[in-house]
Formats: sequence, structure tokens, C-alpha cells
Amino acid sequence: MDANVEKISIEIEKLKSSIERLEDVRQDFPALDLNLKRIMAGVKMLELNFVDPLEEGPG
Amino acid sequence: MDKTPFWNPLLETMDLEKLKNLQLKKFKRIFAWTYDRSRFHRSLYDRAGIRPEDIRSFEDIRHVPKVEKSMMRDVQRKDPFPYGDALCVPLEEVSEFRQTSGTTGQPVYQADTWQDWEWWSECWAYILWAQGYRPSDRMFIPFGYNVFVAFWAGHYAAEKIGCEVVPGGVLDTQARILKIQELRATAMMATPTYVLGMADTAKTKMNIDPTELGIRRITCAGEPGASIPSTKERMQNAWNARVFDHAGATEIGAWSFECECQPGGMHVNDAFFLVEIEDIDTGEIIDVPGRRGKMVITAFDRMAQPCVRFDAKDIIEWDPKPCACGRTFRLIKGGVVGRADDITKVKGVLLAPSAIEEVVRGIEGLGNEYEVVVDKLGDIDRIKLKVELIPGQEDRTQAIEAELKDQLRLKTNLGYRIEFYDHGRLPRYDVKARRFRDMRKK
Repeated sequence: MDANVEKISIEIEKLKSSIERLEDVRQDFPALDLNLKRIMAGVKMLELNFVDPLEEGPG
Repeated sequence: MDKTPFWNPLLETMDLEKLKNLQLKKFKRIFAWTYDRSRFHRSLYDRAGIRPEDIRSFEDIRHVPKVEKSMMRDVQRKDPFPYGDALCVPLEEVSEFRQTSGTTGQPVYQADTWQDWEWWSECWAYILWAQGYRPSDRMFIPFGYNVFVAFWAGHYAAEKIGCEVVPGGVLDTQARILKIQELRATAMMATPTYVLGMADTAKTKMNIDPTELGIRRITCAGEPGASIPSTKERMQNAWNARVFDHAGATEIGAWSFECECQPGGMHVNDAFFLVEIEDIDTGEIIDVPGRRGKMVITAFDRMAQPCVRFDAKDIIEWDPKPCACGRTFRLIKGGVVGRADDITKVKGVLLAPSAIEEVVRGIEGLGNEYEVVVDKLGDIDRIKLKVELIPGQEDRTQAIEAELKDQLRLKTNLGYRIEFYDHGRLPRYDVKARRFRDMRKK
């Protein structure tokens, strides 16, 4: 399971980066800005489920 | 995918030591977020001399001051209006307003961002998947869709896990029953009071047998009942459906659930919440099973108006047994067994109202509704129980009264005056019931 989860985690971070790359232009388009906000919330759920658990140690 | 019992096996079957590490990491994160952004919380923590860098262990967490509901009432209705100093995000990021039911005093407002709202439905997805709901279910939700959080997140989670959702708001009880029948809904969520109330209406006013409506799973929330064995049995028999419990709260989130194994308790979602049990008298944290205490809870990922060491007053205890479902999420035995502010002394004896419900609903011949009235005659406490006889049971009144008194004495150590009423005479409630009236406080 661990190898799969690492792969999942990498792809989730790519999703997040993709959204962040649109940061400069999103303010020009409410449709882009506010839909991305919703998508980002979903990406956050993926992070809670798959990225958080992979990081070693109690922080 | 439908066959796996876990919404996320990575978290739900995580090794306990890794889970503890995850919890500590997440507590530190939400504590730092809250300290940095909430003037109310920062002031509380500064007075206690605790800063984010001081949190290195669970022992350190125990020194973080608790937040009581009354404190939230005091900070609200001020700027940023209406949430006040506990708000951790700009007001324009708040997309959802909800408020508590007000049963314990002035309602508390709850702010959530869109991410928090997504988090709510994620927590509920864990619940519904664990209870066996799947995309093939048609979920009927008979609730008012109003300012109480109630089943809003259940609705969105049912959508998330792929169910077809039928919103049953606005319709009256009979119309809801007809809609369930018309659409052949397979699943439902409601308070225990309403689950029993709908069944009663179907049978007595509509000549419809609820067991034939096709509902196979029901999730209950909002009040105790689904973890009280006799109440659960009544609901399951009334609908010929499996009934599952869930405990959550507006200020906290959806923190616990009964799984398909129905182990006589509920799992805490340990990946999303930190539950601590505090001895009511000493304040000491109880780590061992078998001792009841008051819940103090932290939601790790709720950002707009965080829940950090919230004094929830729910009475719980850890179950020593692992669950057959395979989850490493800990179990609380018997679910939420009461509330610290419901437990009262009558004639010097501590009484939890849920114990009375367990007795009443375990006796054949009695209806679902009952009422308890505590008052004083001079200096002496008195307790009266009002119950309804099911039609046709009138000639068993004496036998029922004897059984009631015996069982109540056994379970609560108190003697009661019993009053019998015809079926339908006692108050009915649409959502949450208020069956315990303490006249001594008035």
C-alpha cells in the first residue's frame, strides 16, 4: 500500500501546483477563481487523506 | 471498490503508533493556526502561558486551556459580525452559517469556509461508508434544511459517496412517508425521535407498514437513542432496517460513528479528531477503558472557527476491545451515554436520563414516548414517570407497572411514581425530544 500511497501523494501535490500556477490569472475570471477555490477544497481533502499520513514523525 | 469496508483504509487501519504521531502533528498544526489567527484563543493561551512551540507531547496538550460553550457565546455577536474574535479567516471567506440548537442556552454561531464544508462532508463520508451505504442507495433525508447543521453534511456526504439523494425538507411527515414509498428509498437519516415518530404515523394514521417501505439502513444523529439497545431495537423492528448511531455537534464536527459490525459502541475518527476523556471530579485525563468521563475534543482540520480542546460535556468511556471491522480507530463503549449537564442528583442519587429510556423502551406494552418530571415536596425530591400504553395492553397495566418499577430501581436506584396515559397523549417531537423536566430549577 505504501508505494501506491506515495504515488498518490505525488500526484496530489502536482494537482495543487497546477492550481497554484493559475494564481496570477484567476483574479480576472470569477468563474476561474471561485471554481478553483472549490477544487482546492477537494484537493485539501485528498491531502488530509493521503499526504498528511505519509509525513514521518509527530512534526 | 464498493466491497471495501473502508472509505480510506490508509487512515482507518493505520498502526496505532503512527496514528498517535499523526494526531500530535495535526494538533500542533491547528493549535498554531488558532493561536496565530484567533484573538480570543490567543488571549486564552497567553493567560495560561502556552505558545505553539510548547506543544511537544500529549502531556503538553493537556495543559492547553479548554474552551466552553459559554465562552463562545461571550465572544460572538461582535465584530467581525456575527462571529467575533474566534474567527480565524477573513469574513468574506465564510460561506456557511449555522447555529447550535439552543437547548442549553443562547445559540452559538458557527462559521465555516467552503473548505470546512468539504471537510464536514468528508467526515460524514467516513461514517456512511462504514455503515454500508453505497452508490446503489437512494437516500431520503427528512429534515428541515435550516440553520441547524443537523443532516446538511450527511446530505453532501451521501452525494459524495455516490448515493442518489432525495431531500425531504418542507414536506410533512405523511408526505415524507408517501415519498419514501413512491421512490422506493433504501436509506434514511433522522433523529431517533423522528425515526420512531414516522413509523408511528405510518402505522396509526396511514395504515402503512413501515417494514414494507424498503428502507434498509438508517443513520441516527442529534440525540442519544441509537446506542441505547432497547431504542435501537424498536427502531430496527419498526422499519425492518439496520439502524446506526453517529455523534457529532455543530461546534465540533462529525467525530464518531457506529460501523457495520455494530460493536455496542462507536468509533472515534482518530485521524480527524483528538478525543480526550476527563474525569468529571478530578479533571485528570482517563486513558484506560472502563472509566466514564467528560469528552474534551479537538477537530484537527476545521479552520474558520476552530474547535481546540472543546469541553463537549458528552459522557463517554473507552472500550477495551478492538472491533471486528478491523479499524484501529478507537471505540467508545455504548456511544455517548449521557451529558454532564443532563446528569442530575435526585434524592441524593446520580441519575442519567438515558438509563430511564433504556428501561421504558425495553418493556413490551409501552409506547415510544415518555416523560420524566422531577420536583420537590418540601425538602424531598420526587420523580414521576409518564408512559403511554400501547392500545390493547390496558389489562396488563399492573404487570407493566411492576416491571417498570423493578427495572427502574435496578438501573437507576430510585423509586418512581408511574402515570399511565393513552397512546398519543404525551407530547410528540419533530426532531429532538425534551423528555426530562426538572421543576426544581424553576
